[in-house]
Amino acid sequence: MTLPGPEVLLYLALAIAVILIAIIVARPAVTATRGGKIFAFIALFILPILCAFGAASDHVERSKQTTFCLTCHIMELYGKSLTVDDPKYIPAAHFQNHRIPVDEACYTCHTDYALYGGVRAKLRGLRHIYIQYLGHPPAPDQIKLYTPYNNRECLHCHLGARSFESNAVHMAIMDSLKSNEMSCVTSGCHDTVHNIDSLSKVKFWSPVQ
Amino acid sequence: MTEPGILLARELRLAGTLLIVGLAVTIVTLIWKAPLSFLLFAGIGVVLTLAGVAVYLFSIVSTSAPRH
Repeated sequence: MTLPGPEVLLYLALAIAVILIAIIVARPAVTATRGGKIFAFIALFILPILCAFGAASDHVERSKQTTFCLTCHIMELYGKSLTVDDPKYIPAAHFQNHRIPVDEACYTCHTDYALYGGVRAKLRGLRHIYIQYLGHPPAPDQIKLYTPYNNRECLHCHLGARSFESNAVHMAIMDSLKSNEMSCVTSGCHDTVHNIDSLSKVKFWSPVQ
Repeated sequence: MTEPGILLARELRLAGTLLIVGLAVTIVTLIWKAPLSFLLFAGIGVVLTLAGVAVYLFSIVSTSAPRH
């Protein structure tokens, strides 16, 4: 027997909350007794707060998903670049070889691995939604990072990995990489990233499943 | 029913209605998987839910306080 997932439990809690609240709306007199007051406290305070927290958590988790980021038309080419059949394309190589969670590909590389990095990523996401619906979204090839890509995001996974540290060049410039004096992606080493301008000239990989 | 009792019932009904609408909006945003659903959740669902909780808390505080 498998236990229901958190999403099922959340829907169940929401349904129970709505039913209990409806009872109080229909018969407020039930709150006259001591037991009724406890019932009202659970129905009108505890359950709604729990449901709101649960729903917020669900929304935050959902916003990390690759499909969520690619919902916006403006991101279409960036999503397509993940399937380029060329290992020089860094995002494509990571995505296709599952070096990052495929379901959270965008978030994994574009969040800040620092204190409150996740919160900052969410605030940037809110800004993106605002620009998408109420502002003037730029053309896909005009999209720029807010700040230069920080090596910290690469080193979060690669630092300490055998394949990374067995490369003599990496070890020779480690201090420069850690201090961002030399960038992983713009110093000439791994500089083919999404490169959406050249997607018309490349082949694409399609997964079997 | 006494006057405070009628007032409490009215406030509980208001709190309950706000909560039901807020939770209904929340359910819709959970089913509707689009970026806008988060804005709907944060802008309407959460606001109505918190308003309902606030009205409920206000109702129990105001009716338990001595009236002059």
